Amino acid sequence: MDFLLLLISTGLVTGAAYGLVAMGFAIIYKSTGVVNFAQGEIVMLVAYIGFSVANTFHLSFFPLLIVMIPISMLLGLALERIFIRPMLGEPIFAIVMVTVGLAVILRGVTIMIWGSEPYNFDAGISTTVVKVGGIPFYPAQLYLIAALAVVTLLAWLFLRFTRMGISMRAVAANETAALLVGVSVSRIHAMAWMLSSAIAAVAGLLIAANFKLAPDLWFQGLKSFPAVILGGLDSVVGAALGGIIIGLIENLSQGYIGQGMREISGFIVIIVVLMVRPYGLFGNREIERI
Amino acid sequence: MRTGHFNETHSQLVALSTSRTVWGWTIAAITVVAAAPLLVGNYSLTILVSVMIAIVGAVGLNMLTGTTGLVSLGQAGFLAVGAYTNAILLSDYGWSVWFSLPMSGVVAAAISVLVGVPSLRLKGLYLAITTLAFSFIINHIILYAEDLTHGPNGVFVKGATMFGFNVQKGAPLFYMTLAVTILIVFGVLNLSRTRIGRAWMAIRDHDIAARVMGVDLVRYKLLAFAISSFIVGIAGGLMSLQLRFVNIDVFALILSIEALAIIILGGLGSIAGAILGAIFLTLLPEGLRLFFSLFANSESTFYTNYVFEIRGIAYGVVIVLFLRFKPDGLIGAWRDARKYWSNWPLAY
Repeated sequence: MDFLLLLISTGLVTGAAYGLVAMGFAIIYKSTGVVNFAQGEIVMLVAYIGFSVANTFHLSFFPLLIVMIPISMLLGLALERIFIRPMLGEPIFAIVMVTVGLAVILRGVTIMIWGSEPYNFDAGISTTVVKVGGIPFYPAQLYLIAALAVVTLLAWLFLRFTRMGISMRAVAANETAALLVGVSVSRIHAMAWMLSSAIAAVAGLLIAANFKLAPDLWFQGLKSFPAVILGGLDSVVGAALGGIIIGLIENLSQGYIGQGMREISGFIVIIVVLMVRPYGLFGNREIERI
Repeated sequence: MRTGHFNETHSQLVALSTSRTVWGWTIAAITVVAAAPLLVGNYSLTILVSVMIAIVGAVGLNMLTGTTGLVSLGQAGFLAVGAYTNAILLSDYGWSVWFSLPMSGVVAAAISVLVGVPSLRLKGLYLAITTLAFSFIINHIILYAEDLTHGPNGVFVKGATMFGFNVQKGAPLFYMTLAVTILIVFGVLNLSRTRIGRAWMAIRDHDIAARVMGVDLVRYKLLAFAISSFIVGIAGGLMSLQLRFVNIDVFALILSIEALAIIILGGLGSIAGAILGAIFLTLLPEGLRLFFSLFANSESTFYTNYVFEIRGIAYGVVIVLFLRFKPDGLIGAWRDARKYWSNWPLAY
C-alpha cells in the first residue's frame, strides 16, 4: 500500500510538471493553430536564466519568480517577433517546422552558454521533508503541484472572463472572422507566446528545482506531448488534467509493469488515445468540407 | 527566345524526361561520381558515402512526407530498425550482405505497417506526434530487447562481403552504396509516375477529395508507409555498414529533424530536391569545419568543443531561413534561376 501511495505521489509531481509544460503548448495551439515544438526548450532556457539570476542576486523562490515571469514574457515576445511573425499567413506546417528549427537553435545556444554539466538548483526552496497525509513530500514537489493548480485556475479565469481571453478564443474559433470584427490577430498571437512563456517560467524553475538543471530539460517538452494529446491540443484546462493523468500512468506502469515503462508508457497512451479519438479527449473535432 | 514546353500526349507528361540533354547530364554526373575513388582520398570518399546514404534516406522520407503529405518525425526509428536488422543478421546470424541489406528494408517496412494502421485516421500534427511516439517506442524496445540487440552495448558489424570484397570501407562500400542509390532513385522516379504515385499526390492535395475520386485511402497510405520505410530501412542498413558499429545513441531525435530539414530545404515533394537537400545538409558540417579551421587556434578548439551544438544550430538556422525566404527549397531556387535564364531579358 505504501508502494502504491509513493507511486501516486511521485506520479502527481511528474504529472504536474507535464501539465505545466502542456499548458504552454495548448495556449499557443489554441490561438495560433501551431504546435510549438520549442516549448520544452523555452522551459529549459528560462530555467537556466533563472539559475543565473538567482545566483547573481541571491533571490529566494518567490522574488525569483516575480523577476523571471516578465523576463520570460519578453523572451517569448522576442521569439515570436523574430521567428513566428514573419511567417504569418504561411501554411501551418511551415510555421511548425520553424518552431522545430527554433528548438534546435535554442538547445545549442543554451549548451554553448551554460555548458553540458548538470547543476544543482534549489531555487531558494527549503529541503526539509513535509508530510501530507502520511506521505513525505519535498516542499519543491508541493510547490509544483500547487503551481499547476494556480496556473490552471488563472488560465481558466483569463480565457473565460477577460476581454483578452475572449478575443483569444475568438481567434481560435475563426481567425478571419475575428479579424473582421476588429480583433488584432497578430497581437493575440504575440500574447499567446508571452503567456505560454510565462507558464514556461513557472514550469522551468520548479522542474529544475525538483529534478536537476541539465541540458536534457528540453526533453520535458517532448515528454509532455502525451499530456497535450490526451487533453486535446486546444484545451488549456484539459492539458493540465492530461498532465496529471499521464504522470500517474507513467509511474504506476513503471512500478507494476516493468523497468523503462516510465519513458514510453505516455507515448503508448498517445497512440491508443489517437486511435480512438483522433482529436484528443477534450479537443474539438474538426469538420472538413471539400 | 525559347518558348514554353507543352506536353501533347499523356506519355510525354509522365516521361522521366523528354529532353536528351537531361539524360546526357545525368549520365555524365553518374560517371564523374563513379570515378571518385580514383580521384579523391579516403576521407572525401567517406563523406561521399554519407551523402549517398542521406540521399537514400531523404528520398524515402520525401515519398511519405513530400509526395503523400503524411508528416513523419519517426525517421530515426526506421533508420534504427534497418541498421540493427542488417547488423544483427550479418554479425549474429552470419547472413550474406546480399540478403541482410534487403532484409533491413523489409523489416522496417513490416514495422511501418504496424505504425501505419493506428495512424490511418490521423494527419498533420497529430500524425507527426504519433510517429515521434513510435520512434521513441522503437528505440526503447531496441534498448531493452537485450537478447536480440545486445541492449546498450550495441552491435559490431562484421563480415559484409560482396564478390569477395569487404563492403564496409573504401571503394567497395562506395560502389555498393552508389549502386543502391541509383537503383532507389530511379525506382522512386518511376514509381511516382505510376497510378500509385498519382494517388499519393491526390491524397496529399486533399485526402477526402481523393477518396471521392476512388482512391482507396487505407491501401495507399499503408503502401506509402511501407515503401517509404523500406527505403529508409535500406538507408539504415547502409549506415550500419559505414559506421561498423550500431548503438542506439546514433539514432537520436536530431536525426529525424535532420531528415525533415533535408527535404524541406531541398523542396518538398521533389526527388531532385531531396537529392540536392541531402548533398547540401551533409556537406554543411564539413563546410562549418572548414570555416572554423580558417581561423586561429582558439576558434578551432571552440568548434571541436561544441561540434554537436554548432551543427544543431546550423540545422535550425537553415530550416528557419529556408522556410522564411525560399519555401520551395533549393529546387525552387533552381527552377527560378532556369526560368530567369530562358526568359531573359523579359521578366516572364
